[in-house]
Amino acid sequence: MDTMMIEVSDVTKSFGATRALDGVSFAVPRGTVLGLLGHNGAGKTTVVGILSTLSLPTSGEARVAGLDVTRNAEEVRRRIGLTGQYAAVDETLSGHANLVLIARLLGASRAQAAARAEELLELFSLTDAAPRKVKGYSGGMRRRLDLAAGLVGQPEVIFLDEPTTGLDPSARRDLWSVVKRLVHNGTTVLLTTQYLDEADFLADSITVLSSGRVIASGTAAELKDRVGHRSVSVTLRDAQDRPRAVRALEAAGLAPAHEQDGLVLTMPVKDSTDLAGVVRASDEAGVELAGLAFSEPSLDDVYMALNHSGAH
Amino acid sequence: MTTTTSPPALTKAPAHPPSPRFSGSGVLRQITVLSGRSLRVLREPAMVLPGVLEPILMLTVFSQVFKSVSQTSSFPPGVSYIDYLLPAFLVTSSISAGLKSGVALTTEMNNGIVSRFKAMPIHTGSVLVGRSIADTMLNVVNLIVMLAAATLVFGYGPEGGVLGSLGAALIAVVLGWSLGWLFMALSAWLRRPESLQPIGGMVNMVLLFASNAFVPADGLPGWLKAVAEVNPMSHAITAARDLALGDPDPGTILATLLCCLVLVVVTVPLAIRSFRRAT
Repeated sequence: MDTMMIEVSDVTKSFGATRALDGVSFAVPRGTVLGLLGHNGAGKTTVVGILSTLSLPTSGEARVAGLDVTRNAEEVRRRIGLTGQYAAVDETLSGHANLVLIARLLGASRAQAAARAEELLELFSLTDAAPRKVKGYSGGMRRRLDLAAGLVGQPEVIFLDEPTTGLDPSARRDLWSVVKRLVHNGTTVLLTTQYLDEADFLADSITVLSSGRVIASGTAAELKDRVGHRSVSVTLRDAQDRPRAVRALEAAGLAPAHEQDGLVLTMPVKDSTDLAGVVRASDEAGVELAGLAFSEPSLDDVYMALNHSGAH
Repeated sequence: MTTTTSPPALTKAPAHPPSPRFSGSGVLRQITVLSGRSLRVLREPAMVLPGVLEPILMLTVFSQVFKSVSQTSSFPPGVSYIDYLLPAFLVTSSISAGLKSGVALTTEMNNGIVSRFKAMPIHTGSVLVGRSIADTMLNVVNLIVMLAAATLVFGYGPEGGVLGSLGAALIAVVLGWSLGWLFMALSAWLRRPESLQPIGGMVNMVLLFASNAFVPADGLPGWLKAVAEVNPMSHAITAARDLALGDPDPGTILATLLCCLVLVVVTVPLAIRSFRRAT
């Protein structure tokens, strides 16, 4: 499992005077998901373009499955699946015909191609829509077909470039569960996203890109630790209790904050054991609570914090 | 976020990591599959009909509007206007067909299908060759429909007979094929769909009217006649028209075919090179 399926070392990419990537390095072990997180223009898509052999790095080295993307482009292409912003399907063909087309191009016989297409359509719950033209597909169906198209050749490495951008929440969830299943069988995935919850949910580790540089990397938990905004919020039963509750919590060494006339008091804490302190203080002050919640920092917080410290 | 979502456990070391499922395909397979993809439109009347109807509509309009041209002194005596006009129409339709190759390529380069192909283990040139073959075959179908309609509806029946007309159509097809490569090279180089269509359309329009397509060059005002005489389209039209009218000039025909061939030899590598580089 120590085999690195993607290795990027000190890659730069310039478009004329603009530097889209400025010394990017990261590695993805086999069978894991790396979330490449960043806003528009951070360089995520440029990274995918280079790794999928669509464009050449200006300098530096990139390897996929141990193969150099510049020198062994042809071999790399045999091992990758590309989906997302870059790659699309043919709208004028049916879902089935699209997958057959790709399988045929990869060398499958007619029978093999049809079998593979049916297998994938089934996996992506597209069997009913298979004979219909892609033009009439919903956004979620189209993304699923797009993903299926990238999987026809059973690639070792998959690039998912912003796979859920523009999808409604339920379609996003559907796609996520498909990706989960995929990783389960050992496929290595590079996922680019602007959605922090997506990286949090799907990725084993996260690399944060900003203006063409890696500004942080680690697991979601590590990144959250670095920012450390854990908090507890309590919801009061009665707004009249608020001054009493605030006094009691402050006496317990906490710093509750609340909105004007709000029933909710929020305070930063070190870890979940502080929950007990909050409950005890409220209880002793005779304040009745309607709700209690502990929250981890969201990746939004992490991203904001890192971006502020990383942007010079 | 008010709930604690711990990332679900993932299997890190799979028993059977995936390996490429298929062994790859040869260039011939790639070209057949890709041209077959573009030819699928033939199965859909709704997609084919506009392409067929447009030239027929144009033919109707032009054969009526310019009919009086055949009474002018510069017009070859004893030739009906439809016999004179149709070979030119075969040529101009083929030029439009060539332009369509370029426009279609630009569209696919921008909507992502081409990127998918380029990230696959296939020869990049196959994508272009496949399109060229498909578009040429569609043009052949189109020209046959035009010839049939002209014969049945407008009384087309030139001196050169069926062979002459087929010869004229062949010249047109070769021209459309070579211009298809030119426009694909331009498309791969320019990359933007909004630029190729107007540029191509404009060039097409100028070439069309400053030529002998609708009236003999001798009947044009002096400056326009000068343009028409150097206009390569005029030469292609002359070659096709002479064939249809049963008075072929081997020199013009050879020159036209040679020009087309040179164009292809020059533009194919350019198209493939730009296409490979474009992302």
